[in-house]
Amino acid sequence: MSTRRCAHCGALYPYDIESCTLCGGELEELPPVHGVVVASTRVETPSRTHEQVPYWVALVRDDDGRVVLTKRDADVDVGDALAPEEPPRLDETVGVLGYGAMGRGLVELLLLRGASVVWWGRFPDKLADGRAHVFDRLTRSLDQSQIVEAEDKLTCSTDMSALSRCDLVIEAVAEDLTTKLEVLKEAEAHMRTSAVLATNTSSLSIDELASTLEHPERFGGLHFFNPPVRMQLVETVSSAYTSPEVSRALERYALAFGKVPVNVAPSPGFVVNRALMRLLNEAVRELEEGVASAQDIDCAIRLGLNHPMGPLELADLIGVDVVVSIMEDLATRLDDPSYAPRPLLREMLTRGELGRKTGAGFYAYVPHPSAP
Amino acid sequence: MRASIIGVGKTRFGPTTYTLVQLLHQAITSALADAGLEARDLQAFVVANFLAGPNNSQLHLNAVVAGLMPGLHLPGWRAEAACASGGVALHQGLLALNEYDPVLVVGVEKLTGIPGADLTHNIGMAGDAGLDQAVGLTFPASYALVAQEHMRLYGTTVQDLERVALKNHTNARNNPKAHFHQKNVTEADIAQGPVVATPLRLYDCCPISDGAAAVILSREPVDNRSAQVLGSAVRTDAISLVQRETRTSFSAAVEAAHDAFRQADIGADDVDFAEVHDCFTIAEIIAMEDLGLAAPGEAVELLRAGETAPGGAIPINVSGGLKAGGHAIGATGIGQVCEVVKQLRREAGQGQIARADIGVTHNIGGVGGTAAIHVIGRG
Repeated sequence: MSTRRCAHCGALYPYDIESCTLCGGELEELPPVHGVVVASTRVETPSRTHEQVPYWVALVRDDDGRVVLTKRDADVDVGDALAPEEPPRLDETVGVLGYGAMGRGLVELLLLRGASVVWWGRFPDKLADGRAHVFDRLTRSLDQSQIVEAEDKLTCSTDMSALSRCDLVIEAVAEDLTTKLEVLKEAEAHMRTSAVLATNTSSLSIDELASTLEHPERFGGLHFFNPPVRMQLVETVSSAYTSPEVSRALERYALAFGKVPVNVAPSPGFVVNRALMRLLNEAVRELEEGVASAQDIDCAIRLGLNHPMGPLELADLIGVDVVVSIMEDLATRLDDPSYAPRPLLREMLTRGELGRKTGAGFYAYVPHPSAP
Repeated sequence: MRASIIGVGKTRFGPTTYTLVQLLHQAITSALADAGLEARDLQAFVVANFLAGPNNSQLHLNAVVAGLMPGLHLPGWRAEAACASGGVALHQGLLALNEYDPVLVVGVEKLTGIPGADLTHNIGMAGDAGLDQAVGLTFPASYALVAQEHMRLYGTTVQDLERVALKNHTNARNNPKAHFHQKNVTEADIAQGPVVATPLRLYDCCPISDGAAAVILSREPVDNRSAQVLGSAVRTDAISLVQRETRTSFSAAVEAAHDAFRQADIGADDVDFAEVHDCFTIAEIIAMEDLGLAAPGEAVELLRAGETAPGGAIPINVSGGLKAGGHAIGATGIGQVCEVVKQLRREAGQGQIARADIGVTHNIGGVGGTAAIHVIGRG
């Protein structure tokens, strides 16, 4: 929270507004409150968005009488000196490699968060398509002057030398070991040695990717979920080589992107995909065995587990080809055949019924004329 | 101010399977019957509600009320000011008397059946989205901080908070419309309640109630059951505690009380009894101080001496208040008026107090962001 004070009449505003409502005076931004706890309460009842209890909320007052509230996960006492934690800002330059769904989504997210972005892709026409797509999305949430600002902050290039400006580079190219290794090594060669390199891989081995780099200690995983603008989770992954400093940086970046980081070991599928693929595969098996229809399986999981989507419609959204490839990878790396894609998934792959993107999967999809 | 309350109607406050619309209907028809009017006699209405949008997926409530009066096409609108929605709606209804007569003011809230974590979040919408909600300042947490500052500044104790709870639970036993009318709450229950947000325990907090309440306003009294509105004032303050210079008193309430008392041409000494916004026990203590019934920090002395009990010098929350009478949020400010009118008419049965000529209602939105104060006298 930043407080603004009217330079003319002294009125205080805890909002990012442009002028004093009372006298029209110019507002100056005040430094964060550094003060003393005057009251603190231990909250024992959970609420949506604050599910974990107990937590503490402290009222902190400084010498000028300005007060601020801060949430803590440990007890604070009246009289304690406290400087409320500032939400991390994103005034750094971030590189994004790749223009697939995730690359586009990341660029959109970063521009919305006010970062400067260097966007690299191999082919200029595809990069231009991606740029047009991102700005089409941004016009839904930014006004014209903010769009112009975002345009100024985005550099698109097929040449990796622009990555030398970046503090962080996120690789989001195709989910293929050879491609990723090649792109990561090339990017590393252009980056400053102080910069952090992260991969958005959902299934490849972080350790294996790290082992071929010059500076594996500056490399880790930032696994976003699609679409990154909407999905709150980022799995942050440190490899066997990642330095503690870079591990902390990955978490800090996730917070600065407005996400909730969960730190995970560099194990296959991390937390989410490893659990998800079992669920998807089991749902397909239920369908094969005639336990229930596709609609009913999805309905039961939605209502019974309070999932926003059923597993089969989710598989259609992710793409059957992607699901099969993740499952095969997990089956091998975890040495667990129960991850091996069910026969029905393989049949669908052979028939080219890959889900929404092909118009057919577990469900039939009629292309919507006005869909983006 | 020249206005009369010619009819009142209130449902029981508390959990029920009745819907928002059914509750509205019950309050409206009972107020109309009390006034001896039919719906087609009305010229306008105001409907008060806080959370029907997020809780019941129902906004556009004035048109919902219109559906209960098919074909009348009355002028009508909704008032929302968090927990002060009812008091603000009443003030608007009184202003509307310049144009329309009579005017119906009805408040409603449907809170039960919503999962606890969602409801706590939704009620938290009375606080600032960024300044308060983002740091987990739930509604109980807000008043917990207020209580801590009041305790530190004035020496108010946990036992004082418990005294408020016990008194209001005792009062609720005499009010058939009260949420906890049937429940015998002991000192031990209160002292052992689970912690909600330190220092507030379960019995420091008002319950989650459904309910509706309605009044019918007219420029002229109908008979000696009509009550007179002697003063009506609304004041606002910045929404978050961090925007205030003091948090042990609500400036909006102090100023609204001052204005309402000036209109009524009375002083705090002239008030016989009051229904105040005790959403949390600490709030009753602060309400008394903001109304000038006690100097800052001294309300607890009246409380400790039993002077705020029904037989005392200044009975507070004879109905049970929000604490034990229930807090059907959008209906609360209007429900308070119904309770005051009941006392003025000598129709409070077992809960009737001896001296009841001038009553005050004190209705607060959020943590003092809105205050609506009404002074009501016998007709």
